[in-house]
Amino acid sequence: MESTSKSLRSEATRPRADGGLSDGRATAPESRTSSLALEMQIDALELARRKDFLELAEADVQRLRELNGAATQYAEEVIEAFYSHLLSFEEGREFFSSTETLERVKQMQKRYFLELTKGSYDLAYIEDRLRIGEVHERIGLPMKLYLGMYNFYLRSVATRIFNADPADPERALLRFQSLMKLTFLDIGAAIDTYIFQRERTIREQQEAIRELSTPVLQVRDGLLILPIIGVIDPQRARQLTGQLLRAIRSTRAKVVVMDITGVATIDTSIANHLVQTVDASRLMGATVIVTGLAPEIAHTLVTLGVDLSKMQTVGDLQGGIEEAERLLGYAITRS
Amino acid sequence: MKVPVLKQRQYLIASIQAALSDIDFIELRDELVTQVGHFRSRGVIVDVAPLDVLDSFAARTLRNIAHMIKLRGAEMVVVGIQPDVAFAMVQLGLVLEGVHTALDLEEGLAYLDERLGHLSGHAG
Repeated sequence: MESTSKSLRSEATRPRADGGLSDGRATAPESRTSSLALEMQIDALELARRKDFLELAEADVQRLRELNGAATQYAEEVIEAFYSHLLSFEEGREFFSSTETLERVKQMQKRYFLELTKGSYDLAYIEDRLRIGEVHERIGLPMKLYLGMYNFYLRSVATRIFNADPADPERALLRFQSLMKLTFLDIGAAIDTYIFQRERTIREQQEAIRELSTPVLQVRDGLLILPIIGVIDPQRARQLTGQLLRAIRSTRAKVVVMDITGVATIDTSIANHLVQTVDASRLMGATVIVTGLAPEIAHTLVTLGVDLSKMQTVGDLQGGIEEAERLLGYAITRS
Repeated sequence: MKVPVLKQRQYLIASIQAALSDIDFIELRDELVTQVGHFRSRGVIVDVAPLDVLDSFAARTLRNIAHMIKLRGAEMVVVGIQPDVAFAMVQLGLVLEGVHTALDLEEGLAYLDERLGHLSGHAG
């Protein structure tokens, strides 16, 4: 897939703080470490906590370093077996459209593999892992394949660790356990990036839905209509106000008819948001006419003691538009 | 930092270019009040478009300028308040009570023309 090779290419050209594609921004080494980890709120303290929970300590780091020599030797073999396994499945084959891509990925995987026994597992290490997870999530690799791959890898290395140390199975076991702890630290990071990206997508979609559900409509030169329907929470109210103010600027509106016929209930906080919207619009030179106040809403507003003196209101949308047109100097005739 | 004040027909236009300190605001106030008398201007437009922030001191001073200028026979319009700034201001309760506002310079001039009539025979 085209997208596969593109996102993998950016990984191969040394990770950048933006973690991705064609941005082209120069990245200072210091900022590289804090980008994705920072966004995901994984700092030195959090990393230490994770290591504690996995009981990953200095002794483990030492054991992993001891494995480095052997790891360097069997790296190629393990990677080859790894990819044979993956490619023997149709789902796995989908991700590698060309031998070129496959070769590149194998090289990256080899680098990843060797990092495991280098002995440096700080924030820079985690940032790297997070970035790898991000890439895999972006190309759509299912979590089950990702986990299956880690599992295959652990098993093939386990065999080699034990075969390399037949005289001291206890030491071999300890080394394998150290490797397992580190691998699970990596898996944790990878899963976190998947979750983080999914949550980010959800947030973006929610934002899009909110924008769509509160259209600001221009019906004449200088006249905007804002029909508000449904439940307004403070966040939606803020988004609504922002949208309206930007629309006033871009359409040069002088009058806004804000219709709240579709709003079922209103409380002090929402009422205050409405008043703020009216005030802010005025600061930008636009008059707001509020229409469609249901009797219950009117009652609530009066009871709550909301200052409506600055708010121009008209019973219904039709009346509001007529008033707005009058203010703008339009005269409608019927022929 | 001195704010440039330009005369256009019967109006004065003060174009704020960058953030003003409290002292700058006071100086602007004094400058406008003086110039209104000097040129016998009927309208003053203060353009705040480049400003990211309008705090309570700025808001209070703008209101003071409007009142002082009114006493000297002129109307004031503040123009160019940006969406984010407008939003931030109302949340702090800074609504520029009693000061007329318009979207930008063009709307500000149109407002003054309408309000004061065309005085020197120039089209609006």
